[in-house]
Amino acid sequence: MVRPSLHNLVPYAFFVVLVGSAGLWVDNPYYFQILSMIGIHALLALALNLLMGYAGQISLGHAAFYGIGAYASALLSARYGLSPWLALPCAMLAAGLVALVVGYPTLKLSGYYLGMGTLGIGMIVFIVFREWSSVTGGASGFVGIPPLGLGGRALLDVRSYYFLVWAVVLLALCGSQRLIRSRVGRALRSIHDSEAAARAVGIPTSRLKLQVFVLSAVMSAVAGFLYAHMVGFISPDTFSFIVSVKLVTMVVIGGMASIWGALLGAALLTLLPEVLHAFAEFEMVVYGLILMTVMIFLPQGLTRGILDIYALRRRQSERAARPAD
Amino acid sequence: MRFADDNPNGPPARPTDSPGGPLLRLEGVSKTFGGVQALKDISFEVPSGTVMGLIGPNGAGKTTLFNLISGIFAPDGGRILYGGTDIGGRPTHRLVADGIARTFQNVELFESLTAAENVMVGQYVRTRCGFWGAWLRGPGARREERDSQAAAAEWLRFVGLAGEARTPSGELPFGWQRLLEIARALASRPRLLLLDEPAAGLNAVETEQLGRLILEIRGRGITILLVEHDMSLTMEVCDRIVVLDRGEKLAEGTPREIQTNVDVLSAYLGPDVGAPSRQQAR
Repeated sequence: MVRPSLHNLVPYAFFVVLVGSAGLWVDNPYYFQILSMIGIHALLALALNLLMGYAGQISLGHAAFYGIGAYASALLSARYGLSPWLALPCAMLAAGLVALVVGYPTLKLSGYYLGMGTLGIGMIVFIVFREWSSVTGGASGFVGIPPLGLGGRALLDVRSYYFLVWAVVLLALCGSQRLIRSRVGRALRSIHDSEAAARAVGIPTSRLKLQVFVLSAVMSAVAGFLYAHMVGFISPDTFSFIVSVKLVTMVVIGGMASIWGALLGAALLTLLPEVLHAFAEFEMVVYGLILMTVMIFLPQGLTRGILDIYALRRRQSERAARPAD
Repeated sequence: MRFADDNPNGPPARPTDSPGGPLLRLEGVSKTFGGVQALKDISFEVPSGTVMGLIGPNGAGKTTLFNLISGIFAPDGGRILYGGTDIGGRPTHRLVADGIARTFQNVELFESLTAAENVMVGQYVRTRCGFWGAWLRGPGARREERDSQAAAAEWLRFVGLAGEARTPSGELPFGWQRLLEIARALASRPRLLLLDEPAAGLNAVETEQLGRLILEIRGRGITILLVEHDMSLTMEVCDRIVVLDRGEKLAEGTPREIQTNVDVLSAYLGPDVGAPSRQQAR
């Protein structure tokens, strides 16, 4: 907080090296798809973490905004022939508007009630995707979404797409970190701790909650856009309640109120099912056990749990050193 | 009521209206909760630059009155004039921007934030960097952030917590949490500071320090309205005192007048005790 010094840049450098070297070494298109999927999930987890981890507002319906981004961009580019790059801002706008309209009454709720409210939104949007067949293709899905192109030619290879996804993630990471370490970020965190006290020190809490909800929805829409144009086919199941819950799990496992935690949670929960195929019919059992173990031993999530121990150690040694100077 | 021309790190703005004039004026303020009359026709003035005490037995309506002045509830009747304008029913965040800050009876800190961050949140209404400013981090936003950190350090020093800037506020000892809450309130650079039982839970030494702090705050030109059960502290720091009992104003005067007021004694100690002390007082 004191100065944006070297030690803040270390995780970024690590991140860039890791993503870069993975992108250069990996050669299997299937792996690229998984790695890109981690990036898309990381973007979603980051978006949800701003809302949930920092501002303390739970959303059990975030897959809705992911879906709105995907469907809006798919529709505009496949059916109306709009360039996907022009469809993207429209998709973001659509998700933002929906978030604004549903967030206004919903964010008056808190705790379990907010959870129920957002759950309802997720379900309604899911049903719209499934039943409005003439527009969305219904349960069988929406096919023929054009791939992304740059300067007239299609971004054919999975490698470029992988780099595109992770460049967006990097942008979102930097943006989130800047936001959190700002006046607005502190205000959001104060709402998490005590909404009444936040109001009493002059923070317009309802407005700020709505703003971060819209921001989170818009980020999720970007993830939906990336997903739709990568896979070329979308169906309602990709944006169902289960996916919303998975996103919440990513945030909680990775660590609430930690941007790197969102990344870690997304990576873990995307990779686990792939790795656990070996367990065949016990896949879900092992999956559940891993989640339970993390929650029992690191209730603050992976990153927070480790960071807290580190911070505690550091403060203790600082305290011990203080009488000396 | 703008403070934009002030140095953000300097002491808070001094009241601009005539010294000694009322900064806050209550005219027949009433509040009912589901048939229970919590406050009934309360009128008094808080002169600018003074410490006004608000005392009374439990349930007298002191905290309710605080909640009305700080905008948590709107009064049912009467007017609350602040600097001459009626602020009854104005939302809290606007009142803080107008210069009314408060602390809570049960300390309400942001426990996961450090002490310095708590004070910086207190400056919310005096700073303006929004979402875009945070992302772009232009020179203006950087300067504001630096000023904000410097001001936070200064307020922490002012209340005597200079060494705790990086400590999560939830880990501070209780007495220091009280001081931190006062620093957070001061960081919004109020003209009127409402302190709700700031000495509750403090030991004798801490209470004495608190008394000195309150007088120092007054010395900076901030008007204070103080609810307190600790009588020696109240008598020591208050310029005037208003006594509430069961939602009504019972008495008002200097600490000396209040100490010898018969009605006050009987409200606190029961009518039987009040009677003999009447003779004593004479």
